Amino acid sequence: MEHTIVGYFLQFEIMKNLVEMASSTLGFNASSIIAFIIFLTASLILLLIAATIGGLGTFAERKISADMQMRPGPNRVGPYGIVQMVADFIKLFLKEDIVPVNADRFLFYIAPILAIVGVLGTFAVLPISSGLIISDLNVALFYAVGISSLVGLGIFLGGYASNSKWSMLGGMRGAAQIVSYEIPVILSMFTVILFAGGLSFGAILENQSGGPIGWYLFHNPFTFIAFFVYFIGILAETNRAPFDLPESESELVSGYNTEFTGMRYAFFALAEYMEVFVVAAFASALFLGGYKIPFNIGGDSLIGQVLQAGMFFTKVALIYYVVIWIRWTLPRMRVDNLMTLCWKYLTPIAFFNLIGSAVWIYYFGNKSMWNLIFS
Amino acid sequence: MFLQVVFILSALLTVVSAVMVVFTRHIMYAAVYLLGSLIGVAGLYLTLGADTLAATQLLVYVGGILIIMIFAIMLTGGQDFMKNSRKSFLQVPFMGNVKTYVFGGLAALVMGSIGTKLIMNVADRFSEHSEMLSYQSTIEVIGEALVTDHVLVFEISSVLLLGALIGAATIARPIKKQ
Repeated sequence: MEHTIVGYFLQFEIMKNLVEMASSTLGFNASSIIAFIIFLTASLILLLIAATIGGLGTFAERKISADMQMRPGPNRVGPYGIVQMVADFIKLFLKEDIVPVNADRFLFYIAPILAIVGVLGTFAVLPISSGLIISDLNVALFYAVGISSLVGLGIFLGGYASNSKWSMLGGMRGAAQIVSYEIPVILSMFTVILFAGGLSFGAILENQSGGPIGWYLFHNPFTFIAFFVYFIGILAETNRAPFDLPESESELVSGYNTEFTGMRYAFFALAEYMEVFVVAAFASALFLGGYKIPFNIGGDSLIGQVLQAGMFFTKVALIYYVVIWIRWTLPRMRVDNLMTLCWKYLTPIAFFNLIGSAVWIYYFGNKSMWNLIFS
Repeated sequence: MFLQVVFILSALLTVVSAVMVVFTRHIMYAAVYLLGSLIGVAGLYLTLGADTLAATQLLVYVGGILIIMIFAIMLTGGQDFMKNSRKSFLQVPFMGNVKTYVFGGLAALVMGSIGTKLIMNVADRFSEHSEMLSYQSTIEVIGEALVTDHVLVFEISSVLLLGALIGAATIARPIKKQ
């Protein structure tokens, strides 16, 4: 309980008094019910935030791409066109829900739900600040990688159920790509886990500090390489360009989501944008110090939490910008090049990193290269 | 209380999906129902306090094996082959005669009684401390045990996996033209 959002709230006197008051009025120990209510409200708020993030992702994508192509982009609905995402959502919500006649109805219904459940499941371990984490599981990274593989399953089943050649090809490409690129991504995570000594985000962020010197990115040469391997891997796992083969417009119309309309399409689109957010958050927590602020200003108080959340969202937004930037600058890769890159380059490099980190720990312990240089 | 609710939900999910896997006639649906069953088993592990095992279950079975299964189903046959028509299923003749059924029934009885005996022990022990107040992490213990007491098993299994990897690479290698 101590590593959850309930644990954070229960350390305040007001909450303790509230629990006591509820217990005395209800006549039994109300701490579990209060804990349940806190969990429920936090999850609902996070769900709303997640949906907003997905919407903001689509808006950012359109606006940044417009900026790079010297167009104004969406600018009619609201200031700078920011209400455009609400308009888009209403349009998708009101659209007719069409299921192709020859489609597999059951799989067609279940595929978008699987995709979005997989992404929302990872939000449970998202380290927004030291207190605002729904549950800092001991196996947080393991759990996140496991539950997010439902997205790959959703994409694959969506492609299969549509009974269309384009969707089928897109779904197969998506599944193959996600399963392959999981390996370098997990190995790069392990490089950091070796130094952190734990799979929970609390353990990973404990040894990092606010300044860039304390980040795992600049801890030693191996983690520095691991960050780039991880970054390329997450681009492929979230089907972003230059790895957007599952939905490549020029060959497959729209890939696995060609036949989906209305809310079902919106689920796939939201899942993609939220997944980019989640993997960017993991990148920031693993390599860039996550929510840590320099000199720990604010500490554990509520102001400190707000500052930490601001730090977290700033870092994630920067990574998100780079992801979109890459999408609108690089051309798409070919399928065989994609697999060659994964199996012949990224995976051996990731293994090399892992062994190198183990050797580093054997000789220097947990010291960073700055410790070795300046002492 | 909370643990019981989680247990009942995951047990229901496991059993119902497992039954659906057996009784569905479409092999692709069977794979999707299997997903529910595997997630239910992960939930059961969680109620037993085995958090590492639950996460591994999700990672290995849902993330890897299930996708590979669906790939295999899709690559090995068209949609018509996937439907198992009920008529042909009923036309399979019953195997065995009275003697084998009697022996089979007796064996099932013995196995069932042994099973209940085993479950009774576990149930007794579980009811003693049914509410796990201090939820302990297992991942450190498992990690330590793997590289100290059970290091030989660990190494042997890694050699086995390496063999499987090399075998898969050999099979998948394109045949060179002479």
